[in-house]
Amino acid sequence: MSDPDLALLALAFPLGAVFLVALLAALRCGKYAHLPTIGGFAMSAAVSVVMLVNLLTSPEAHPAIHTEPITWFSAGLLNVSFTLTVDPLSAIMLTTVTFIATWIAIFSASYMHHDEGYARYFGIMSLFVFFMCLLVLANNFLVLLAGWEGVGLCSYLLVGYYYAKPSAAAAARKAFLVTRLGDVGFVLGIFVLWRVGGYHTDMTLLFEHIKNVPPSSGTMVAACLLLFCGAVGKSAQLPLYVWLPDAMEGPTPVSALIHAATMVTAGVYLLARCAPLFVLAPSVQMIVCVTGGLTAFLAAFIALTQTDLKRVLAYSTVSQLGFMFMALGTSGVVTPSLAVTAAIFHLFTHAFFKALLFLGSGSVMHAMGNVIDMRKFGGLRRVMPITHITFLCGCAALAGLPIFAGFWSKDQILDVLDHAGHHALRYQMVYFTVFALSLLTAGMTAYYTFRAYFLTFWGETTIPPEAGHHAHESPRGMTIPLIVLAIGAVFAGLAVEPLTHGFSGFLARTPGLHTANEAYAKRTNLAPTEHPHLNLTIAAAGTGVSLLGIAVAFVLFRSGKLAEVPAPLRPLHAMSQNKMYVDEVYYGAVVKPAELLANGSRQFDGFLDSLARLVSFLPRLMAAALRPLQNGLVQFYALGMILGLAVFVSFVVFKVSR
Amino acid sequence: MISVWHYLAVAAVLFALGLIGFLTRRNLITMFLSAELMLQGVVLNLLAFSRFHANLSGQAFALFVVTVAACEAGIAMALFIVLYRRNKSLDASVWQSNREAGVPSSVDTDALPTVAAEGADDPKLQPAGAKPQEPARV
Amino acid sequence: MSLFAAMQTGNPLGQLATAVVLGALAIYWLLPRPRGRSIAIGTFAAIASTVVLVSWVVRRFGDPAPDLVGNILFWLFSAGAVGFGTIFVCQRNPGRGAIAFAFVILSVCGLFLLLAAPFLMAATIVIYAGAIIVTFLFVLMLSHADGPTDENDRTREPMLGSLAGFAFLGLVLFALYQSSPAAASDTNNLEYALPARPVSGEERAVLLEIAEQLGEVTKLQDKDAILEKTKLMRDRIAEIVGVPPTSVDAVAVPSKRKSIPDRLALLTDPRSIATKTLGEEIRQMNVKAFNALENNLLSKANPSATDIQKSTEALPALREKLIYLAGRGELPARNVANIGYVLYSEYLLAIEMAGTILLVATIGTVAIATRKRVSA
Repeated sequence: MSDPDLALLALAFPLGAVFLVALLAALRCGKYAHLPTIGGFAMSAAVSVVMLVNLLTSPEAHPAIHTEPITWFSAGLLNVSFTLTVDPLSAIMLTTVTFIATWIAIFSASYMHHDEGYARYFGIMSLFVFFMCLLVLANNFLVLLAGWEGVGLCSYLLVGYYYAKPSAAAAARKAFLVTRLGDVGFVLGIFVLWRVGGYHTDMTLLFEHIKNVPPSSGTMVAACLLLFCGAVGKSAQLPLYVWLPDAMEGPTPVSALIHAATMVTAGVYLLARCAPLFVLAPSVQMIVCVTGGLTAFLAAFIALTQTDLKRVLAYSTVSQLGFMFMALGTSGVVTPSLAVTAAIFHLFTHAFFKALLFLGSGSVMHAMGNVIDMRKFGGLRRVMPITHITFLCGCAALAGLPIFAGFWSKDQILDVLDHAGHHALRYQMVYFTVFALSLLTAGMTAYYTFRAYFLTFWGETTIPPEAGHHAHESPRGMTIPLIVLAIGAVFAGLAVEPLTHGFSGFLARTPGLHTANEAYAKRTNLAPTEHPHLNLTIAAAGTGVSLLGIAVAFVLFRSGKLAEVPAPLRPLHAMSQNKMYVDEVYYGAVVKPAELLANGSRQFDGFLDSLARLVSFLPRLMAAALRPLQNGLVQFYALGMILGLAVFVSFVVFKVSR
Repeated sequence: MISVWHYLAVAAVLFALGLIGFLTRRNLITMFLSAELMLQGVVLNLLAFSRFHANLSGQAFALFVVTVAACEAGIAMALFIVLYRRNKSLDASVWQSNREAGVPSSVDTDALPTVAAEGADDPKLQPAGAKPQEPARV
Repeated sequence: MSLFAAMQTGNPLGQLATAVVLGALAIYWLLPRPRGRSIAIGTFAAIASTVVLVSWVVRRFGDPAPDLVGNILFWLFSAGAVGFGTIFVCQRNPGRGAIAFAFVILSVCGLFLLLAAPFLMAATIVIYAGAIIVTFLFVLMLSHADGPTDENDRTREPMLGSLAGFAFLGLVLFALYQSSPAAASDTNNLEYALPARPVSGEERAVLLEIAEQLGEVTKLQDKDAILEKTKLMRDRIAEIVGVPPTSVDAVAVPSKRKSIPDRLALLTDPRSIATKTLGEEIRQMNVKAFNALENNLLSKANPSATDIQKSTEALPALREKLIYLAGRGELPARNVANIGYVLYSEYLLAIEMAGTILLVATIGTVAIATRKRVSA
């Protein structure tokens, strides 16, 4: 089977799963809905591995497989065709997505057991994976946009899975609308690129055109900034991150899949794909970096004091995404392929350990009777040993302890930031500040991660009353995915990068990155660096701050209880716990004026309605005036006739007969 | 010394009187007789013109008018009988249910003068053989 | 009549308007209703309105008949019709109203008689006063009205109704006023005279025949034809209207009867005077026209076209006058026979249809009035 067909197959399996689940639901066999889903995901993962291997062993320097373009629609100068491309970047992304999705689907089968909307859940999850694969494989901006919107839709449907709960419905709406704001920018960016890119929407053709005929720097800045808007919305960066913590209302496997491993990484993937464009707009790169840094810091700050385990993990996701953007932001200052490699490597490892952490918290929730407030339970390491060990692996990976996966990727990010901080031609101080901020954030990450760990698993065993008879280790359907992901969290980073540079080498062969490298070389007259190297100083610094954070957390929380907040830190603590009041600010600055405008519009509409009613009122008024003439009395009618006749005859007599 | 105009004027007055009677009176029979009065005015008109033109066409036409008036009278009487059976009244204003929806029915506001029942002070006779209780009145 | 005719003051239209308004008010006050009825004021207004109306009629149209008896009869019957009509319309009790209606019929039939329609008079009396009133009284048995009732004592829209009726009347009378010439002042206008002029039937036939021939003559162009046709015309005309005293034929023409002007020489009523004047006028025209004819045609051997035209140019005017003198004629004295003849010759279809309508009406009456038996 040829590779383009494999690409289509990779899409077809999740889509087929959707239809099969729907069929099962229609035939009232919804309890088997997990079978098509898991099967579809697994087949898709197998196909993507096959494609990955094909690319790895391909003799070409910059392998890329394209499917035949099928014209989707065309109107005038706008010609949109449906093409998919499999190059190293998309292959890596696709494999990550499908692999994690498979294990999360297996976990969901046990987690969502006995739930009412079992089939609905798996149907939408399959649809989500289909759209995500479409997004990853797309070679045309509009096809990518289709996948982009599709994952947004499925996120809405899954966050609002418990639709009867008002907070869940509100959270789903918030997620959809906030990402919509970003999508506006994204679409505008696509339009600008179409305009200046020789009216192409296919990425390969567009990048080719822009390489040959570079547009003005202002246009490039505008286009890249708009694309970044979309990424900000989808990947929950400042200022559009507010939907991600609320999206924890959905079932925990949904949080694991969508809000840790796949959907939120779409923004990072987009920027990685458009690296050839971003290289041409250094100011936008700086903005990307700064945004990532601020987001990482802010999210970590808020995560320091949260009591809801899932909230901690959500803010942690935002923070880690910020790290990825920080790395992407250095793309023009350091070799683009290095920067993108750092970001994508972190994406890869983050997918494993964040999914693991979320599934672990899901296991805890399942055992504790849907209680996730860390103050209500404690000392669970004795109750749930497997969950405990796997969760610990995930925490270590997140904190960036050496050997664990997170260490290698975080180290790469710090490395590129440091390099940018020292060698940037413009904005050097900015990059250096961001580097310092990232170090601080790394320490905070370790602190809050282990705080959550200690509060949950250490101290005396406390089981909340809602647990009932559930307070035991989760069934095998849940623990096996945990174990698999824990193995990945521990060894994934070690396996692919440090010893062999396989990851970075493979990724650098992406044609887009190759183009970006060439542009970088042309701009800076420097040779592109092929592989990242391990800077021991940076590594030591990173490890040091992590250990410092873990130590502080150990001291404060080893008893498994929340510590007393010292008086001078109370204001900061309050700010952190109240999420920096960002939601309230948004409510006052955006939602309230929008509500006022909506109310004003409704009043105006009511006014127009009354105008229309006035128009309809006049005939009724005339009718009401004329209606008493029909009073049913024959003599009255005869009188009317005579009066009319008198008028007519008088007309004849006085006017005509003269 | 012109004479046809006089007859036409009288016919016009008769017609107008009949018209007013038809429009204002509420008794079905009076209304119908007013219509007949109108017909008389018309016949007078026809005959005046017949004389004026020295022609018998007008008289023939008047004969047909009278014929049709007779038919009309017959049917009108039958209808009055049917209507009377429905509502036990010869009042034309009783039949107002064909009015437009929402228009209130016309009701009479003035009260009719009450007349003492006739025969209230007629002497009441006792059945034969019984002694009258009241003194007999002359 | 002279009393009424003396009311010559005022604008005729104003008189009419006054009469109409007074009449409307009179009826308004006379119509029966629980409140607002005033018989005294209504009667007074009715009398006033009648007086004004009659004076207007007399002033505008003159006397209804040339003789006193005709006048008296006309006004008597008219007063009866209108008076009883008013009583009928304003009568509270329907039984009394029906009786008043009967009297209206009688009065109107008197007027029919004055209009030379005795058959219709008899037919109307028989049909109305005989059959219909009896039927009405029969239905009146149904009402059982003791004391005031809605239908008898109330009136629907008295003001609007009487105003509408009298406005209509005013318009019709105004139309009459418009279309009638100022009759009272025009003593020579014989156009609308209603007992016919004293022209006998034979004379009328002769006059109309001559008029028709005159009409043909004026179209002829041939001298001999013209002479042929007009050979005896002069004499025939002269037989009827006589000759001018100054004419040379005054003595020569024997007359079987007196000519029209001679017959009317001693009468003094306006109509006779007008007819006499017309006859004398025709005499003069007769002589002139035929003199002119003979002069233009016989004087020359071959008269030219202009001569022929000149000869016949006075004839159309003569013809008009002859027709005018002949007048409309009279209604035939044998009224019933002639009505029967007219009905069965010209209006045969209408007779059949009238009969059919009567049949259908009878069946309809029976069908409507039958009490429907409720099916068990």
